[in-house]
Amino acid sequence: MATGRDVRDMLGLAEGAVSKPTAQPKRAAPPKPTAPVRRPQGVAREVAALYGERAPPVAIFEDTKGYRAKRTLGPAKKWVQERFTNGARSDGLVLRHWRRRDEWEVDVRKMKGEEGREINVDVKEEEKEADMPVVPRREFAKYNVEVDVPTFTDEEYEAHLRSESWSREETDYLLQLVKDYSYRWAVIWDRYDFKPSQSSSTQEEQATTDEVALRSLPFQQPTPRTIEDLKSRLYTISAKLMSLRLREMDSEQYQLYTLLSCFDPVTERNRKHLAAALMNRTLDEVKEEEFLLTELQRINMSALRLDAERAELRARLETPVVNTQAAAGINSFTSSAALHQLLTQLFHQERNKKRVPGANGPGQPNRLSISTGVDASGAGTPTQTMPPHLNSARRQSSISHAPGGGGASTPSSTSHLPNAPPRLLSTIDQARFNVSQHERLTSGVSFGTDRLLKMRQAKSNVQTQKIATSLQELGVPELIPVPTQKVAEVFEGLVGKVGRLLDVRKVREKEEGERRILEGMRKVRVGGAEKGEGEGEDGGEGGKRKRSESLGGREEEGVKKVRV
Amino acid sequence: MNTLSSSAAPTAGEYAGDEVSAIVLDPGYATTRAGFAGEDVPKSVCPTFYGYLDNQQPLFGENAVHNPLANLQIKNVWGSDGVVEDWDTASKLWEYAITSRLTGRKPGDPTKNGLNDGNKAEGENGQDMDVEMEDVENQEKPLEESPLLMTEPGWNPTKAREKTIEIAMEEYGVPAFYLQKTGVLAAFASGKASGIVIDVGASHTSVTPVLDGMVLKKGVQKSPLAGNFISSQIRLLFKNTTPEIPLTPHYLVKSKTPVDAGAPPQAVYREFPSGSAPHDSFRVFQEDRVLTEFKESVVEVWPGPQRFHQGPSEEIAKSQPGRPFEMPDGWNQVFTVDRYKAAEGLFDASAAQVDANNPRPKDEHTIPRLVQAAVQQVDADQRPMLLSNIVVTGASTLLYKFTERLQNEINQLYPSTRNKLVAPGSVVERKYAAWIGGSILASLGSFHQLWISKKEYEEHGSNIVEKRCR
Repeated sequence: MATGRDVRDMLGLAEGAVSKPTAQPKRAAPPKPTAPVRRPQGVAREVAALYGERAPPVAIFEDTKGYRAKRTLGPAKKWVQERFTNGARSDGLVLRHWRRRDEWEVDVRKMKGEEGREINVDVKEEEKEADMPVVPRREFAKYNVEVDVPTFTDEEYEAHLRSESWSREETDYLLQLVKDYSYRWAVIWDRYDFKPSQSSSTQEEQATTDEVALRSLPFQQPTPRTIEDLKSRLYTISAKLMSLRLREMDSEQYQLYTLLSCFDPVTERNRKHLAAALMNRTLDEVKEEEFLLTELQRINMSALRLDAERAELRARLETPVVNTQAAAGINSFTSSAALHQLLTQLFHQERNKKRVPGANGPGQPNRLSISTGVDASGAGTPTQTMPPHLNSARRQSSISHAPGGGGASTPSSTSHLPNAPPRLLSTIDQARFNVSQHERLTSGVSFGTDRLLKMRQAKSNVQTQKIATSLQELGVPELIPVPTQKVAEVFEGLVGKVGRLLDVRKVREKEEGERRILEGMRKVRVGGAEKGEGEGEDGGEGGKRKRSESLGGREEEGVKKVRV
Repeated sequence: MNTLSSSAAPTAGEYAGDEVSAIVLDPGYATTRAGFAGEDVPKSVCPTFYGYLDNQQPLFGENAVHNPLANLQIKNVWGSDGVVEDWDTASKLWEYAITSRLTGRKPGDPTKNGLNDGNKAEGENGQDMDVEMEDVENQEKPLEESPLLMTEPGWNPTKAREKTIEIAMEEYGVPAFYLQKTGVLAAFASGKASGIVIDVGASHTSVTPVLDGMVLKKGVQKSPLAGNFISSQIRLLFKNTTPEIPLTPHYLVKSKTPVDAGAPPQAVYREFPSGSAPHDSFRVFQEDRVLTEFKESVVEVWPGPQRFHQGPSEEIAKSQPGRPFEMPDGWNQVFTVDRYKAAEGLFDASAAQVDANNPRPKDEHTIPRLVQAAVQQVDADQRPMLLSNIVVTGASTLLYKFTERLQNEINQLYPSTRNKLVAPGSVVERKYAAWIGGSILASLGSFHQLWISKKEYEEHGSNIVEKRCR
């Protein structure tokens, strides 16, 4: 912390201005008259000193962040060496540690009060340490944790818990170890050193001979127990005791029970073997695995990419999803709510289609080209069959009338719908006067030729060229003489078809290429197997030599060619 | 330490300590460490070697051990198998380590405490007489006020453990006692409850797998390839160099004049009249002192990743700058390749210097093999966890580049696990890790329930140490 003196020092002011001896009385005396001057709270004294005479109008300090309180001056606090016992000990070991005298006195008074003596015992600092009262303390007793270990009676053991490979004595030994080492299996197994006592076996000889035969059997050949053996024994005991003791188990207990009874030492052992094998791999193996993993990741990535490409293509080729409501017929749109829903649906549909260029074609209904079929082709005409140019003419009206979706066979019996537009030209008239209705007109003038030209262009140059060549093949001139609306629409359909054909061709080529690669791989594999056999007979070196010979031969040929 | 205010007792939440002025004693082969629990450095570090004059009390402490008295023998209480051999002296030595610096001696009867019989002390070193415990029986027991936590090596047999508690309870009269393995404590000092502790001390190297503060006994490995082995390797190196490098301890040199590198020394040697020279063991001990200096300043472990005799290692080593060393008699030389050879035997038995008296060390005694053997004895599930907590301790691990080499060796053994060495950078922490761990343990409030009290000892006998200190 910088004091005012430090600051003065930094600024190069005279150090002697505030000399040390004068500083002391000054600090002591003057503050009293100036006491009413409010000292900013929560600001360190050193910082406050830098404010000068005029404190800043807004106190800039965090109220929450408490600065460390000054050490309270006064006489030093007294400490005593308290004699205490630990609550977790049963033998009353008295140890000593230092405590603040005031706290200690409180404790001693409390203790003596509890014992029924007068409360006002004066707790003097005894001359002799041995006379100091012993204070029982329990702060650390809570750390004396013991684990629960299954317990059972002799009858229970005889009836349910007998095991071919475990004697009662060893079972008890195991349980004791589990208790001692708090289920730390690795430690239990490490310390497991069971030595059957002779005395117990002689006692058992007094029992029935069958039992002796059964029980003494494991004593004859003490086998080293694996950690799984120990676990399995304890778990089976616990599980059996659970099923015996608990009439009803809640879900947690049942889960525990199944967990305990499901323990399979063999699987566990195999798992450990695998884990150990995994750990004991050599450096080369580890490196190889790393390499293979990266390779696998690479392959997965490219497969994903390929799948995505294919899915996109398929989506292009597939017809749009049929509107399920369409199947229900016009009847599903009798209410205004349903109609409104339809409107929004169609609107969204159009939006989506705008994003997929080239999706429009004669096969698919054009945008909002859902037939109202007002009086065009009579009742029962499916929309698909209608010439496309008519569709655009009726866009406006169609929205409010027809169920959407496309190829659905919609009976065009909408003439009797109440909210049909008041006046419409007949189709023939529309064609005659070349009337077309647009949802939205772009401002400005554009040429039909431009529109046609635009259609020829695809995203990529290659695609554009391909479209051009196929159009040439079909005999479509580069410049269409009279680009009427009708012609434009037919042309649009044509270009769409061409585009789709090109897509199909691309997919076909791709698939063929893949087939070729796979076939090649198969050949290599079959051939390799044969070769491998051949090499196996020759020995690896022979194979190598052959290869080098053939290489040499090629080189010789090359040389000959050069000479020639 | 500084953040705790001296005027307020620490609250239980921030610090589970509850210091009962316990004493922690960590006896090792080279030094015996003792100090109060809760401190961060042992206050008393005295050599375990002691001076022995015929028919007299053993002489303890640095001053006694390095004083060339006539016929002074230097002995050690530890046996060659890493277990205390000379229990009588050991108990006195430990008592000296504690009382000389920590508790002080209880004032005894002035007629018998040896301070007043000046005539007797005339010929001998007064300092030594002062520290001798002549009449223990007449005195109060020296440690009646402080509980004592002692450390033991991982392979300590039951007999030795019982003997230890007998000494503590009956000779020192401690109110409470506990015995803990050095491996566990070294792990505690690094803040680990589980891990593999590689302790390269003076006489033995040990590898101890520790799980949740308990030693896995089957996995404990020890080998004699440690600090003393390196000293003997250096001796062999000196002997095999042509011309032989002279090794003269300090006490034999009266004065010296500087000479050129490699030139024969020009020094005035101290002559001992016949009969007044110290024993040969004194000379060996003093030579080892010079060798320790050599180890500290010159010897370097080849960091790997390859062994020193593989590949281009030796060529690279030749191009490294050498390190100069000057013997007490003025002989000096710059050591280049040779300085890598002394410690190579710790890792590669075939690279060790051998002669008739120093046979080739066993392969299974090298440190990587010890680690391998220790890990092999641990359950497969715990191995990766243990390998990611490898605690390195012991003064011999302070050899330059030791940890790098160890890391490389272990990575080669277990390439598929994440092996992490925990090697405290500070010299004190590395040398006294077991003591520091004991200091932490014995100052914990939750440790109070583990002490073996005098009452329990009287009830159950010395066998209680087996039951309680697991």
